[in-house]
Amino acid sequence: MFSAIARIFRTPDLRRKIGFTLGIVALFRLGSFIPAPFVDFGNVQACLAANQGTSGLYELVNLFSGGALLQLSVFALGIMPYITASIIVQLLRVVIPHFETLYKEGQSGQAKLTQYTRYLTIALGVLQSTTLITVARSGALFGTSASPECTQLITNDAWYAIMLMVITMTAGTGLIMWMGELITERGIGNGMSLLIFTSIAARFPGSLGSILQAKGFNVFALVLAVSLLVVLAVVFVEQSQRRVPVQYAKRMVGRRTYGGNNTYIPIKVNMAGVVPVIFASSLLYLPALIAQFNQPAAGETAQPWVLWITNYLTKGDHPLYMLLYFLLIVGFTYFYVAITFNPEEVADNMKKYGGFIPGIRAGRPTAEYLDFVLTRITLPGAFYLGAIALLPLIAFSAFGADQNFPFGGASVLIIVGVGLETVKQIDSQLQQRHYEGLLR
Amino acid sequence: MARKVIDEPSEDVVANAKRDRDSKRGPFARMALFIRQVFGELKKVVTPTRKELFSYTGVVLVFVVIMMALVSGLDWVFALVVAYVFGTPQ
Repeated sequence: MFSAIARIFRTPDLRRKIGFTLGIVALFRLGSFIPAPFVDFGNVQACLAANQGTSGLYELVNLFSGGALLQLSVFALGIMPYITASIIVQLLRVVIPHFETLYKEGQSGQAKLTQYTRYLTIALGVLQSTTLITVARSGALFGTSASPECTQLITNDAWYAIMLMVITMTAGTGLIMWMGELITERGIGNGMSLLIFTSIAARFPGSLGSILQAKGFNVFALVLAVSLLVVLAVVFVEQSQRRVPVQYAKRMVGRRTYGGNNTYIPIKVNMAGVVPVIFASSLLYLPALIAQFNQPAAGETAQPWVLWITNYLTKGDHPLYMLLYFLLIVGFTYFYVAITFNPEEVADNMKKYGGFIPGIRAGRPTAEYLDFVLTRITLPGAFYLGAIALLPLIAFSAFGADQNFPFGGASVLIIVGVGLETVKQIDSQLQQRHYEGLLR
Repeated sequence: MARKVIDEPSEDVVANAKRDRDSKRGPFARMALFIRQVFGELKKVVTPTRKELFSYTGVVLVFVVIMMALVSGLDWVFALVVAYVFGTPQ
């Protein structure tokens, strides 16, 4: 394998692409450190040092932004607005017929959808940066029980200062979006997923180090061993697929034959990827956000429903929260699979190109059969997603580990998924030039 | 590991499923039927071989470790630089 790595760097084209990607990644990290205007750098750093691991409300979002969020940096929002926007646009295809027609239109329609995604990203960027700055201004960013420095994160409260911060962070979001698209276009792998991968990878050494420090070497080794098993399991499920055989009719065009080969439609056990997990966690994070805004002023008692939410829905270690999380993930998995894989569309396409599943008529029976397989195979996939996502929560309540338990939940799915995808892409590029790839 | 079943799709699969579903009265019986069908499909899933599994895992781990090392290195440098530029001189 090491000779394969050497071969990567001996291929000029591949070397250039990887260099480009790494350059963008470096810029992305740099932006996550530069503080936004009117942010008190010293206070933020002091606060971060004092509140390591207990950031409260913004736990997951902070993880996805690679720690940039709590630093109130230029890239504080990370790639998340873009990912959320693209998921929303995909989901809207069900609701708005106009989007569906655009999607079916092909190249030009999809370019238009991309354009809508970008507008939505900017809108989400404005919304999220405003929320973030409001919370930072009120001093609740690091939880309510923070030290006095944490309430003095912003040096200027005037409207133009706030405005400038919102504009800066939104511009940062736009820049990240562009960087992601550049990676997809001229680098290696999918830009959006690589950037979120970078953000998560940036948090790993920190959380591993804190486990080592707090729990000693034995627990650390145990965590590593469990992580290895989890990664193995995730790779196993990600690579498992139900193959529905397809035959293509042989056609003679002039003197050449086309088709006539046997292939299959791969139906992955986990067709939905990480999307359901991201969605379920952002939905579950809404009640916590609402409760945060309805915190009572000092001296007053909180309203009963606010108390109920803070007791049951903000902390991941409550069984009710876990149950809700699991059910949401299962629901979203079915929903998302239904959107991304449309059996009727696939059956139509097969018919168009003269393909058929042996033993089944083309057209509606094919669609029905695909639907049958899909609904059955998605159930284990949904349970698997739910189980992996619950892993850090269970670990959190059982061992008192850090909630950002590195190899669990959404992060492990993203890490392994993006890793596999990127490595496969490098591999196929390598195979274009040499016979042997990386994966042998 | 489940024993592999040879996959022979036919229209009967869907038709049988529909008939079976109609023949079951209670919701629990239907659920049991669905779960039995799920296991039936699971048996036809192609899983990676041991060799593939280990090579993929290895490659992914190497990739993650390289990226992690790289990003932590970058972060260390950038944190120093940013602290030098924006930090208050002590």
